[in-house]
This record gives sequence, C-alpha cells and structure tokens, in this order.
Amino acid sequence: MGVIKAIVNGLGITARKPKVLVILYVINLVFAAAVAFPFLAIVQSELGHSFLGSSVRPLDLMWLGEAALKHGDALPALIGGLAVGGLLYLALHIFLNGGLVGRLLDREGPATLAAFAGDSGRYFWRYVRLFLMSLVFYVLALGVFMELVSGLFRPLADGALTEWLPLILSNLHFLVALLLLSIVHMIVDYARIAVVADEERRVLKALRHALTFLRKRFFRAWSIYLLIAAGTVAGTVIFSIVLGRLGAPAVAVVAAALVGMQIYVLFRIWIRMLFVAAQAEFYRSHPY
Amino acid sequence: MKNRILSVCLIFGAALAFLPSAAPGQETALPAAGNPGLRYEIWVELDAAGKMLAGKEEIIWTNPTRDAVPDMLLHLYWNAFKNEASAYMREAAAESRSVRGPAPDDGEWGWIDVSDIRLADGTDLKPAFGFVTPDGPDAPDDQTVGRVLFPAPVQPGESVHLRIEFKSKIPRTVARSGYYKNSFFIGQWFPKPGVYEEGKGWNCHAYHLNSEFFADFADFVVHITVPRGFVIGSSGKSVETRTDESAGTTTTTFRQSMVHDFAWMADPRYLKIERDFIAAKEVTAREYEDIAELLGLPIEEVRLPDVKMTLLIAPEHKGQIDRHFKALRAALKYYGLWYGPYPYETVTMVDPPFRTASGGMEYPTLFTAGTQVLASKNQLSPEMVIIHEFGHGYWYGLVANNEFEAAWLDEGFNTYSTTRVLAVAYGPGALPLFFKGFPLDWFLRVPKIFDFETNRIAAINTVRFDPVTAWSWQFYHRMSYSMNVYMRAATLLSTLEGLLGEPAWSRIMRTYHMRYRFRHPAKSDFVAVVNEVAGKDMTWFFDELVDGTRPFDYGVDGLASVKVPARLRGVFDANGTREEWTEEKIEKLEAAGPSESGTPGTMYRTTVKIRRYGDARIGGDARIEVLVRFKDGTTETRTWDGQGRWTRLEFIKPVEAESAQIDPRGVWLIDENLANNSRGTDGVRRNVVKLMTQLLFSVQFVLHFFGSWS
Repeated sequence: MGVIKAIVNGLGITARKPKVLVILYVINLVFAAAVAFPFLAIVQSELGHSFLGSSVRPLDLMWLGEAALKHGDALPALIGGLAVGGLLYLALHIFLNGGLVGRLLDREGPATLAAFAGDSGRYFWRYVRLFLMSLVFYVLALGVFMELVSGLFRPLADGALTEWLPLILSNLHFLVALLLLSIVHMIVDYARIAVVADEERRVLKALRHALTFLRKRFFRAWSIYLLIAAGTVAGTVIFSIVLGRLGAPAVAVVAAALVGMQIYVLFRIWIRMLFVAAQAEFYRSHPY
Repeated sequence: MKNRILSVCLIFGAALAFLPSAAPGQETALPAAGNPGLRYEIWVELDAAGKMLAGKEEIIWTNPTRDAVPDMLLHLYWNAFKNEASAYMREAAAESRSVRGPAPDDGEWGWIDVSDIRLADGTDLKPAFGFVTPDGPDAPDDQTVGRVLFPAPVQPGESVHLRIEFKSKIPRTVARSGYYKNSFFIGQWFPKPGVYEEGKGWNCHAYHLNSEFFADFADFVVHITVPRGFVIGSSGKSVETRTDESAGTTTTTFRQSMVHDFAWMADPRYLKIERDFIAAKEVTAREYEDIAELLGLPIEEVRLPDVKMTLLIAPEHKGQIDRHFKALRAALKYYGLWYGPYPYETVTMVDPPFRTASGGMEYPTLFTAGTQVLASKNQLSPEMVIIHEFGHGYWYGLVANNEFEAAWLDEGFNTYSTTRVLAVAYGPGALPLFFKGFPLDWFLRVPKIFDFETNRIAAINTVRFDPVTAWSWQFYHRMSYSMNVYMRAATLLSTLEGLLGEPAWSRIMRTYHMRYRFRHPAKSDFVAVVNEVAGKDMTWFFDELVDGTRPFDYGVDGLASVKVPARLRGVFDANGTREEWTEEKIEKLEAAGPSESGTPGTMYRTTVKIRRYGDARIGGDARIEVLVRFKDGTTETRTWDGQGRWTRLEFIKPVEAESAQIDPRGVWLIDENLANNSRGTDGVRRNVVKLMTQLLFSVQFVLHFFGSWS
C-alpha cells in the first residue's frame, strides 16, 4: 500500500468511528476540568469581582505578577498537582490506547463505550509493558544519541565567529531530536498496532514484528508519520490564525474562542486517531 | 511665575546664571565646558594575539577640597577577574549559577599590573604603592583598589601629576570587558582615581559583582594603537589617526572633556557608519512649544543641538542599521527635550562584539547595544537597550551619582526614562520570547506590553528583600539588586509622577537633571528638588517607599447596598405618646409610597470597606481616592488618609451601588494588588471567562501531550 492510500484509508476509518473521538474527548475534558479547577478557582476569586477582570488578557503580566506574589507559596503544590495530574492522565491514556487501537483496527466492529472499554482492559497490561520498554528507546534516542550529536556540534559552536553558526547548529540539533523522536514514536505505534493486529500477547515479540516491518519499508512508513505530523502543524497554524483574529471579548467572541479551542482539542485527538488508523492500514497491507 | 536666581554648579566650581523667565526651581542654563580638576592622557597598545594591553597614563589631579590629601586611591578594576579571591568572584560564587554567569576558564583570567608609578619629577612611588580593601574584610585579597602614598600631602588647590605604566591581560568574556577571537571590548581598563570627598577621604570601592562605577569628571586624551585593519570605536571624538607601516599598527587619538570614564572597542570585521542627528528635522516647532510650556522655560532653553552619531555594527546585523539609528534619534530627542540638551558633539553606539559579554553597557559618549541576527520588529529589544544605554549618558554620565552607593539614582531614573521614551516613540512591544533563536511572535500571537508593566511586577515581588537605596553589593542577592534598583525604583518614580501630576513632575526632573549635571548628587539632593519644585514636603514618600521594605496595598474589602427601611423598628416616644413600629406597620408605610408616607422613597445604604492590607502607609497630603458608582450611573468620590488599617464609608442613595474603586486614576502603580482595588456587584466578566477558557484549554492540551507519550 502506498503512503497516500494508507492515509486516505485511515481517514475513512476515523470517519466511521466518531464515537471513539467523542469518548476520548469527553475523558480529556473531564480530566482537564478536574486538574484545572484550582487554577480556575484562583482566577474567579481574584478577578471575578474586580475591574481588572474586565481588562485582563492572556499572559497579562500585571495580573500574573500579582498572582505570583499572592500564590507563590502554593506554586510548587499547583505545579506538583499538574504534574501528578499529567502522570495520572498518562496512565489513563495507556488504558485508553487499548480502546483506541482496538476499535480502529476492528473495521466493522462497533465503537460503543462498552467495546472501547473492553479493548482498553484487554490490552492494558500489554501496553503498560510496551510503555516501559519505549522508555528505553526514548532514553537511547534523547540521552545517548542526542548527546553524541551535541558532542559533534559543540566544537563547531564553540569556535564560531558569529552567532549564525551556533543558531544553525542549535536548530539542526533540535530538528534531529524531533526526527529521532518521530521515529521512536512511530516504532512504538507500530508495536501497539502489532499487539492488536497480530493478537500478540508477548510485547517483545510485537516490538520485533514492528521493527521487522519497519526495516523493510522504513521510509514509506516514516513518510506516513511525517505527512500526518505536517497536517497537525498546518492545523495548528490555521487554529492560531483564526483564534488570533478574534477581536475584543464580546460575548460572541468569547463563545467563538471557547468553541474554537475545543475544536482544536478535538482536532488533536482526531489526529491521534489518524496516526493509528493510517499506520494500522499500512501495517495490515504488508504482513511482516 | 517668579523670576529667580538659579545656580548651575559645575564640577570643581560654580557658576551663577540669571534666568529671567524660569519657573520656580528650574535650572535653565547649559553648563559650559568645564575645567575639571582631573586630566588624563593615556597611550595604550593592543596586542591582539597575546590579548594584552600595554599602557602609559598621565594623571593630573587638583585637590578641590580644604583637606590636605596624603594619598590617592586608584581603581584597578580588571583585577576582579584575576582570581577567585577578588570581591567580585567571591560574591559571584555566592550567587546561583544562573545569575552569576560563567567564571573564566583556566588561562582566561584578566588582570592589571601597575608596573611603574612616579611623580612627574621622576620620584618613584612604586614602593609606596599597595592594594587596599576599603569595603571591609570580606575579600582581604581583593586587588581592585590600589593606594599610593604621596611624599607630601597635596594641599588644597594644589595639583599632583602622576605617571603610571600598566600592563593588562584582557579577560575572556567576564563582565563588560573581554575578548573573543579578534573582537575586543575594553572598559574599566586603566588605573582610575576614586572620588575625593571633603572630610571623608577617597570614595573608591572595590569592584563588586552587583555594582557599577563612580569617578570624577575629567578631560581625556587617549591614544589607542591597534593592529592595522582593526575598526575602532571609542568614547570621545577622534582627532587624529596615524599608521605605522613598519609596525603594522594604527594609532587613533580621541579627546573628550567633562566625562568620567573612557571605553573603546576594536574588531577587524566591524562596519562603521556615521549619521547626524539634525534637531531641526527631528523636533517640530509645536513640540518645542509644548515642552517649553510644560517646563515653564523659554523655547530657546529647550532647543536641541545637532549630534554626530556613530554606529559600529557586526556585518551580520547590517540589516538593522536603520533600526539602531531610529532608536538613538528617539533617545536623543526625548531625553534632550525632557531633561536637557545633549551636551557632547558625538555619541557612539556599539553593537557588542560576539561573545564579549559587553552588551547593554554605558560609558560616557559611548554605549553598547545588543541584538541578534533574527530580530522581530515587534519586539523592541535592540530599541530598549539603545534607548536605555544612551539614557545613561544622562543618568550616570551627566548626573553622575555614586553607582556603588546609590545605583537606583541612575538605573532607576534611567529605567523610568527608557519606559517613557519607548512608550512615546514606539508604544508597547511584544514580549521578547524566543525559541531556538527565533522570535516567538513570528509564529504566535505574543502579547504586547509596556515596560512599566514588567517594572511593576519586579517591584512588587522584591519589595520585601531590600530598600531601593541599599548599597549595590549589600543587596540580598543579585536579583534583588537588579529588580530593586532598576525596576522598583522606576515604578516608584512612575508612582511619584502620578501623585504629583505631569507639569510638576516634568519640572522636577528637568530641574534635578540640570542642577546636578556634571555633579555627584545623592538621594537627599533629589528629595530636596522634589520638595522645592512640588512646593510640598514629599519626604514621607522616600522614607516610606524608597527607603522602606514594606509592601504597599490598599484595597476594597467589601461593597454592599441594603435597603433602608422607611422607619426603624421598636418603641419610640414622640409628642408625649409612645408608639411601637412593627415590621408590619413599616411594610404598610412603605407600600403607601413616598407621597403618602412622607418618606423620601426607597433608599439604600451602601457600605464600602477599604483596607490597608500592606504595611506601607501614604503620608503628607496624599489621600486614597474612593470612587463609588451607582446603578443609575451617578458616582461619588471620597478620600481617606489611609493611616488606619481600615475605614468604612457609607452612602445613602435611592439606588444600589454598582462598584467601588480605589485609586481610579491609577496613581499608585506601586500597589502590589491591583485586583483588589475595585469591587463590582456583578460576578461574571467576559475576560475572566475567556481567561478561564484558555486555562482549561491549556490543561487539555498539556494532558493530551502527556498522553501522546504513552
């Protein structure tokens, strides 16, 4: 299967499974509301009755400076809470991945909450093991390989005559890191797909399936990944432009911003689905 | 306006000027080129390969005091970079790594050696020369101050003529001075006397991490020899250039009168561009009229002179040449109009050489800017630095306070002034946020802010650490130093401006600047000018807010409107009878309406509670203004002296209150909690909803990001 066909098929699958999108979105929203509640409470108590609340902007330094002063002591707890929330969500997402991959790979199957939850439970521990294994890949990529790249670049940057060379090297370093991350991410995605598609209980074996598969058609697989990633970037740019053009906070504008932001969250979740669906299509069209 | 005799005091002398139409307290005459009691002639040669300077220096110092002076203290600043025993390095080691900057690597230390020092008649003073530590025992091995003992004290009015030879190793990128490859920025590089203060002796502090400098006004002649092909920029005016073909060097002579320091740079790659500031093109007749009226001065007194502007810039920043000059022109214009005309013929702006740690620094008639190859037009980054560092020509260069002991008098005043110039000439700028060298506003909608906003954040977050007026190296830490002397001081000046109003404030600043040009004022001098020109005693402001460390926060604690019943309940004696007013009777009375009942109709008692949450108090004739807005659109304003911890204000009106606000004119910028300055009865604000929506969205996005790694 070609790159474009895999993506088009992936698009078709995501279009047929809107309930998966809804399930993931609702969970994200509810979880986020719980995590954000302390922050929202602070905003309301500080600004709800104040004139400052009528002029406050995003990244409003006049208020953020005050908030930092007033709630500085609570900041570690707030950040800690956010981090714990993030970790809990990570664990939850490992669980949800089972439902996501399971339902998307079951082309004709239902995308009900029960089916989604069933898949989540079925694959949970396998995905936990896979997640732990993926950490090794991330450490190797970001820790070892990128340190080697840094070592290669550092003498060049240290001897630079102008700021151009360090700037270029720094961006090159970042680009290499991003590409490397995309590869690791892709490998883990395919391993997840292999777990479901091959009904593989042994995660290591699923990982080997994925690696064998990718070894034979790496650039096509990577192209699928990068094209969808490019679509994400394009969507983000469009979102930024549209949201940036909204004017003063009239009621309609606030409502539009609220809707726009939620559409963007939906878009990102849908992109996640597309990654899985397109890569699954590609995987299943070329048995390893 | 009264005619007054005003004095304009110059260094080591005083001149009187008779000004027929000046406003009270105004200084109007430009100081003439002075005749400072200090003269330097310096010959210095750069060894670019060896990263060394070899110098000879002649100093003629005339004792301006009534003291017989037995010695001289000399700053030898580069010894701060000699080893880890210097006061500078010890203080740096005590700071966190992120703020102290990197220490020199092995082989990259810098130092200055006085190899010979003698009187003009040949008397060798080297045996009478040694290091001293005037700032106490904390750094006993510091060598940044040298003391030479004269064979006989220098009597009042007498001069001493010293000949000094020195050798210096240029440090590699420490602070303000250094080299990187063939780029050199040379500041604080020659043996420089402290300032002799009558009855106190030499004011000559060690080089500290958190301090800048202090020196006397002088006439300089400096001959700088560099390898042929190097572009050179310097304080002062270039008067002669000679090339020695056999030695492969070029020597340029620079002269400048009435400055207290001299810095230069050399780099073979640099571009040198000269342009003129032509006052007639920059300032309109209307602008002259407006400022003259505001200051109460004749127009002739506010006219600006033309100035030769020189820019030395790295080739990779060539595309930003116009941007640099535009900012400099704005600075020359507004500092000139507000505080007084720029008195020198030249100003040199240096794009700091790459990796020389020399950006954003001021020297008389020369300053360093700072930009990057990828610079957004919305971020006023080079503009801010250019305006600020040029502005130091006024606050430090001309009004030359002691930066060791009262850094806020130049940094605070100049940060305040920079903020004003930026606001007038450019408006708000995008937050200077970068990612991998790219300005974020190229990709995202980055908020635009005025500098006074960032100043205020720093101010309210540092008040508890130190007073603004602490000596530079005695602040709690480097962050407290910089945020207090720059940003909190600027916020306090903005607050004072709001309190006194623009006309009085403009005259205060002009008077202070012109009166103390070419002098070394202290805080008390500024307070005296404020009191004199404002016509009232504002000393409390400085005692409470400038010297103090107590937070300032007044706020509205409560707002409530309750219906006033037509009658009070209970048993009342009237006209010899006793009657009980029950709730039922009162309700009936109210239901009958105002004409039947004889009452004025439904009335509401609005109670506003104002609290002083902070410990700092207002004083003098200052009052906390309270504006209450009612639902029929009417308003009432009351004031409170703010001395107690709280006050309660009551209003009886036929309508309920809609909001209560203190400081409606926004005078008290130093107030650390503006959110509690107002209180409305409505609880939902669209901006708050939007902010909360964005917060929720951010959390959703972060969670999604976390999840994508599972």
